[in-house]
Amino acid sequence: MFYYYLRLSALSYRRNPILSSLMVFAIAIGVGAYMVIFTLNYVMGGNPIPQKSAELFHVQIDSGNPNTQDDPPPQLTYLDARALIEANSAFRETPTSKMSGILEPEGDDVRPFSIVGRGSSADFFPMFNVPFLYGTPWDGSADRNLQQVVVITKELNERLYGGNDSTGKTLRLHGYSFQITGVLDDWSPVPKFYDVNNNAFEGSEEVFIPWNLITSLEFPRNGNTSCWKAPEPGPDGFLNSECVWVQYWVELRDSDEEADYLQFLNNYAAQQKEFGRLPREMNNGLFDVEEWLLKQEVLPNETKILSALAAMLLAVCLLNTIGLLLSKFLGKSGEIGVRQALGAHKGSLFLQHVIEAGFIGLLGGLLGLVVAAAGLEGIKILLGEDLMRTDWIQLNPTVVAVTLLLAVFATIAAGFYPIWRACNINPAIHLKTQ
Amino acid sequence: MLDMKNIRKVFRTDLVETCALDDFSLTVDQGEFVTITGPSGCGKTTFLNIAGLLETHTSGQYLLDGVDVSELRDYARAKLRNQKIGFIFQSFNLMPDLNLFDNIDVPLRYRGMKSRERKERVDKALDSVGLFARRKHVPAQLSGGQQQRVAIARALVGDPLFLLADEPTGNLDSHTAMGVMALLEEINDSGTTIIMVTHDQSLAEQSKRNIHILDGRISTESTRRSEEAATVA
Repeated sequence: MFYYYLRLSALSYRRNPILSSLMVFAIAIGVGAYMVIFTLNYVMGGNPIPQKSAELFHVQIDSGNPNTQDDPPPQLTYLDARALIEANSAFRETPTSKMSGILEPEGDDVRPFSIVGRGSSADFFPMFNVPFLYGTPWDGSADRNLQQVVVITKELNERLYGGNDSTGKTLRLHGYSFQITGVLDDWSPVPKFYDVNNNAFEGSEEVFIPWNLITSLEFPRNGNTSCWKAPEPGPDGFLNSECVWVQYWVELRDSDEEADYLQFLNNYAAQQKEFGRLPREMNNGLFDVEEWLLKQEVLPNETKILSALAAMLLAVCLLNTIGLLLSKFLGKSGEIGVRQALGAHKGSLFLQHVIEAGFIGLLGGLLGLVVAAAGLEGIKILLGEDLMRTDWIQLNPTVVAVTLLLAVFATIAAGFYPIWRACNINPAIHLKTQ
Repeated sequence: MLDMKNIRKVFRTDLVETCALDDFSLTVDQGEFVTITGPSGCGKTTFLNIAGLLETHTSGQYLLDGVDVSELRDYARAKLRNQKIGFIFQSFNLMPDLNLFDNIDVPLRYRGMKSRERKERVDKALDSVGLFARRKHVPAQLSGGQQQRVAIARALVGDPLFLLADEPTGNLDSHTAMGVMALLEEINDSGTTIIMVTHDQSLAEQSKRNIHILDGRISTESTRRSEEAATVA
């Protein structure tokens, strides 16, 4: 009977095309607007690395100003980062900082240009499940021995080498020669959880080099730097200061490792206090990916307000749909009376009209996808590529499925009262007056 | 087959109470052709609706093929209606969006019949009223008489115990009406019981049994064999 009722729904649509289309448009607008905000929330607030987000931790050591009540700084000093990497206490760990430089491609085909890169340890790539198209990341000895090696992105590889395997080739960066060990495959976590301090929604860096080379080769830093007291003059003064500019991530496989590492941090902080550093109360922490994104308020508060507004618009559209469905279904009182006379019980009539409401909801959902897609394109234009990457702002299979399910079930819910009214008409009255 | 005893039907609103049927008793046997006549508002349609399980009665007893319908819920009433009763209406009540085949098919779908058996029955029903060739047409493409034939075919397709006809010739011209009546008589001759409400006195006089209702009660009952009218107190 399901296909029969579906056919009846299509015939009913054809009989009242204007009324039915009004309902479809109302649902499309409500659902489409809601799904635009839902998509933004879903992508911006989603877990970018769900398969191991509970094993990755951002390290917090409170090296902040003792004279204020500010939150602990979200980054570490150079001193602390060096100490942690040398202690090698976690299963995997990586300091990470943004840098920049001038890239001089081989040959005269491409002129030198400025690039933004990232310094990290070799562990960065297996920790964050970074995929490789060609080659591999460098190993731990390259970190220790300050080898001038580099991993480049697929886009940069396309630009410099036509997308071919460029491992082993040399490129000049910041005046130094670096050997390419690997080329990344497509990788663009949203949000960019490993560095939310420098725009969590911007694109990936173009090159990755061993973190120690940032200081040894004096690359310009490109990320956030914050100092609660002025550093001593000179490069060494800065490196030995309480200025924070390094993010530090560890991979801990279970709660025992987590507890052990936190104890290590506390022991380290206690030792630093004896040297006169870290004047504030002990406040070290380990935050997994989701905790860190929440703590850093990556999802802007404005999206919550927009979500509420979109939900209200959807509610208004559904209220309109209730009225339109009431009009449509009560207009079928004669047919309902005839069907009852021919043997339809209220349950089958109810089901017939639930399916009809679902059919209208499905059409509204399909049109709603068009509205949502248009809305998302509008958002992209508003945001602009200058502010952030916008390629992730699009409908994905999950969003499409949610849109259609929302439209169908919301319309069925809106149709409950009209359907109940229609199924409880007195057939005798309508048969005589038909 | 149809056995009503002391049926009473009261319609109540906030302001007024109307007794449409009062102490109404009627028995109809298998194979009868009964006409129901009476002035407007006498309770003919109320009787028909109660007989067709479209209305419940306030008090009394109604046995349909031996089943007391008083305590039946909606599902059971619908099932009984589908299996035992065929309806023919004055305004045909065909569904305008469905073609003739689909219109006649409706009661069989509610019976849960399989597709092949439904097709066989519908084709046979259409053939019996001479409209098989137009099974893909919609009602708007038919004349009034043809539409009523389709309605009759729909009423018969499920082999009902009896047909309830509410002024089946009311919207037809006299010539077409005669054709429809001839068809109904033919159906009755084949064994199907027919209970027909009509304003047409000539049709009532032609029927084998006529019940005249006045103020919700049976006032006279006559059969064609007996020329004497029995007056019910």
